[in-house]
Amino acid sequence: MVKKNKVIALKDIPGFVREGDRLWTGGWTVVRKPMAMVWELIRSGKKKLHLVANPGGPEFDLMAGCDCISKTETNYIGHEVFGHPYNWRRKLDEPDGEEFYHDDWTVKTGALRIVAGSMGIPFIPSKSLLGSDIINPEYDGFKELRGKDKKVPRRKVKLMDDPFWDGDTVVLLPALNPDVCLIHAQKVGEDGTVLITGGTFLDYYAALASEVTIVSAEKIVSREEIEKTAEMNKIPGMVVDAILEVPYGAHPTALHNYYDNDPWWFRDYLEASKDVQKMREWSKKWVHGPKDYREYLELLGKKRLKKLCADGQKGYNPEMKRRLDRLEEVPSE
Amino acid sequence: MKKQIVELGYSNLEMMAVAASRILENDDTVLVGTGLPLVSAILAKKTHAKEMTILMEAVAFDCDPDALPFCVADPRAVYKTVWRPTAMEVMGQFLQRGKVDVGFLGGAQVDRYGNLNSTCIGDYNRPKRRMEGSGGANDIASLAGKTVITIAHERKRFVEEVDYITSPGWRCRTPDGTGLVHRRELGLNGGPYAVVSTMGVLKFDRTSGEIYLHSYYEDLGITREQVCEATGFALDTSKASPVGPPFKEELEALRTVVDPEGIFMKY
Repeated sequence: MVKKNKVIALKDIPGFVREGDRLWTGGWTVVRKPMAMVWELIRSGKKKLHLVANPGGPEFDLMAGCDCISKTETNYIGHEVFGHPYNWRRKLDEPDGEEFYHDDWTVKTGALRIVAGSMGIPFIPSKSLLGSDIINPEYDGFKELRGKDKKVPRRKVKLMDDPFWDGDTVVLLPALNPDVCLIHAQKVGEDGTVLITGGTFLDYYAALASEVTIVSAEKIVSREEIEKTAEMNKIPGMVVDAILEVPYGAHPTALHNYYDNDPWWFRDYLEASKDVQKMREWSKKWVHGPKDYREYLELLGKKRLKKLCADGQKGYNPEMKRRLDRLEEVPSE
Repeated sequence: MKKQIVELGYSNLEMMAVAASRILENDDTVLVGTGLPLVSAILAKKTHAKEMTILMEAVAFDCDPDALPFCVADPRAVYKTVWRPTAMEVMGQFLQRGKVDVGFLGGAQVDRYGNLNSTCIGDYNRPKRRMEGSGGANDIASLAGKTVITIAHERKRFVEEVDYITSPGWRCRTPDGTGLVHRRELGLNGGPYAVVSTMGVLKFDRTSGEIYLHSYYEDLGITREQVCEATGFALDTSKASPVGPPFKEELEALRTVVDPEGIFMKY
């Protein structure tokens, strides 16, 4: 069954997510992350979320800093060359007594797990991880949860000799089926068909593997218009449950052909996230302060958003200076 | 092309980027991680290996960027590509299918067998310093034809035993987590080929799988003794030879084309 009217508002997002849910956030580290939807989830006071995107970016660290999560299961969490994920790192380096678990994976094994989830199969073999501590039973970050938490596989991996050919031992990986998948895209058709440029990453598989998939986009377009870009469309509307229009919905991450990373955001956020108290003040101003996302964008200012504007041919802003220690002043009105 | 010896000053980091780029060849298909590996691979592409195929795990396939990508998913990495696949195709298919000649990785600690740690410092279960996570490093070190590692040469980084084996070297972790075993016994092909540091280039003995000093940056005042002092285990330097400074075109490409802002090079 395919629901016909899929349009929702940003304030409806928290209604789709329950405590303990495995949440996939689309995009890749500092690129095309569903930041507006994550922002709304944080504002709603969600707790104990279990993040499973491969890999995670500022959305993971922000949710860690705002105490929304209790589990992470991925290959990477960070802001790339901008700086370190201080909030998330603190959870592991300086445990505060709150329940927190992290399980390490890799790009390929994370990809295979979500592909298996999208295929409806329970596990998939892989040729990497052997010889590493990633499968060392001593270092299984979820070992206390295995067999108890239904959203965690009973074991991390299982080694198996090739049963068909004269192949070597393979590592069986559990499929990943997130409860909720949030994706931000350039365009979405009113039927839910998703147009993505500059890299789909694993979002097609995640949309199919997840129980519920929600797509925000810079623009909602008609069925007629989305048909014209059939070759560029990446996810069929059949696996998209709800859609919403949120301009700058991936800010401060980059959106190919629309806007570049916001270096001022990363500079200020990184400074604040080094310290618990400063992080509280930061989120008070930037997450809880604005009445809605439109007001958040107003707080950033038109001039600053204009500076991020991508070159339509190159997909990024070639004029953008990116060294945080040499940034010019924040563009103000 | 006539190669001119540079007369300008240059840093150890720049020499490291140049030395790493020289390992790459025109016919190579190279899978690169963010940071110095990316700088070196693009430098090779802009100088001696113009036809080399650069892959990045997130999306970029055979790319020739105009501007240095911030990460492997950056729109800068996507610009000037011939195909835009996903990590499923790049890692789950091309890499796993054996189509990648060279894997190019950075890390925080390396040991004598080329085991690489890019996960955490200290005990994994109670880390002193947790790092971002290793991305596709383990997959690349397990499945590429050979692996090149770039790492700053310090005693705390060249260690007797890494705190955590993220990426398997020649003698790596047994499946039960208790000892070390040769990677071939686990069915792993490939293996570490070179470690390029801020002091020189190290390679591995084919039979023992142990690291040795292959060359050192004499022009920067580096000696064999200094390399040993900066290494946390006994190092064979008997086969080492000095390398000269970068060529002018290498340094110019690095400073004006590859990383003009000094994002990674920190000029």
